[in-house]
Amino acid sequence: MPAKSFVVETIKRNQIVELLSKGKRSDGRGLSELRKLEIKTHVIEKANGSAMVKLGNTEVLAGVKIDKGTPFPDTPNKGLLIVGAEVLPMAASYLEAGPPDESAIELARVVDRGVRESEMIDVSSLVIKEGKWVYSVFVDVNILNVDGNLFDATSYAVVSALLTAWMPKFVLENDVVKNTGEKMPLPVHKVPISVTIANINNTLVLDPTEEEEAIMDARITLDTDDDGNLCAGQKGEPGSFTPEQIITAAEWSIARGKEIRQQIKEAAGHA
Amino acid sequence: MIPGDVIVTGDYRPGMYVQRRGSDMVALRVGLAEIVRNDVKVIPLSGAYIPRAEDMVVGKVVNVTGYGWEADINSCFVGYLPGQFVFGRDFSPSTHDLTTRFTVGDLMLAKIEAFDRTRDPQLSIRGPGLGKIPQGEIVKMTPMKIPRLIGRKGYMINMIAEFSACEIKVGQNGVVVVDGPAEGVRKAVQAIELIEQEAHTADLTTKVQQLLGAPVGPAPAAGPENSGEQ
Repeated sequence: MPAKSFVVETIKRNQIVELLSKGKRSDGRGLSELRKLEIKTHVIEKANGSAMVKLGNTEVLAGVKIDKGTPFPDTPNKGLLIVGAEVLPMAASYLEAGPPDESAIELARVVDRGVRESEMIDVSSLVIKEGKWVYSVFVDVNILNVDGNLFDATSYAVVSALLTAWMPKFVLENDVVKNTGEKMPLPVHKVPISVTIANINNTLVLDPTEEEEAIMDARITLDTDDDGNLCAGQKGEPGSFTPEQIITAAEWSIARGKEIRQQIKEAAGHA
Repeated sequence: MIPGDVIVTGDYRPGMYVQRRGSDMVALRVGLAEIVRNDVKVIPLSGAYIPRAEDMVVGKVVNVTGYGWEADINSCFVGYLPGQFVFGRDFSPSTHDLTTRFTVGDLMLAKIEAFDRTRDPQLSIRGPGLGKIPQGEIVKMTPMKIPRLIGRKGYMINMIAEFSACEIKVGQNGVVVVDGPAEGVRKAVQAIELIEQEAHTADLTTKVQQLLGAPVGPAPAAGPENSGEQ
């Protein structure tokens, strides 16, 4: 049976750890530096919004579909916003086809939480008839190539796709929902930015590569909004962070978040 | 040659990536055709590594089972190194701890002991220079270009090793491990990358000689270098 996850060669692990102890990374980046981020929007013609994101060699494609739907019984006055992510078997040699495994589920949930908890989209304005009809916003993401930090790449793709999305205008006529054929923009209020930081042998690195992720002790993903407020987070892997490391991670997340937000806004043509 | 091309017609024996159709010898891969006496073969320009018995490969241990190790040999097949090949005939899973020799992530230079496509290729580390690779820089290249890296009778690889003062372990599966002084490793990696990029071009030897600062001259026994084998 081949390995189901990425195995780093022992000699490479030693090289990475030794470099990190000198404050250097194997790809020459600074500890808090992001890989090259490329964002292309409007890549899927039939979707309401779409974006393709390349973060180093990690490639992610996101599409938005907006339709009418029924609200959840416990939130009758809120629209639906659901982010789903799938890692394609072609994205890495060790991946196999089949139902998503726990890491893919975690990925979708963490990205979903970042968008939801930042209140990027005002879901209470997505109601057509309370308790009966609301707008449903589905964001589906496919991971095309894996080279570490899927959390951030996916989040940037989802946010960019939502920023470029339009929704059909529905009206209620004699208790029947009608599509007017008009288009209107999504009620976007904030632009959340996710930043993931890995702890390798007590050194923090931002935007870990696949090799770095394979040897990290712990990882933390923090989402910030336009005002620099932390609005969501997820810590993973068995290792831990000291309180000081968490503060550093939060500072990095806020500082890098500002730059990345600017880049995403420009790519999506969002003022 | 591209797949479907007729290389030659007549009484020949089809070799690697060549099929006989009537009396035509047809290429099955994109590559360079070679006819030596009656044998016709195609040397592909790219492709995955298919294990062959007696090949030297660099393997990465990805799993330790009760009876041996499974190694990623950069192929669609997984190499298997049985415990008794390392501990001897009195190997027993209850008395020997396999992880004392190799754990997940360790690299080894191994020989393909046997492979018949019906079972996973069997590895062996018995032989001079074989065994665990303790340190070095890993470079990956297209397996099909490894013969160019080795050169005629090892001319190219010996030259790189000499002028970079490095020890270079070459696996036929496209994994190369370079170990030595930092400056030498950098030079050797550059040379290997140059061969990867320009493997199909003429006077490759001269280009590598210039890069390494070696005296420029023709390789011994001029001829088609792509048949180079160790």
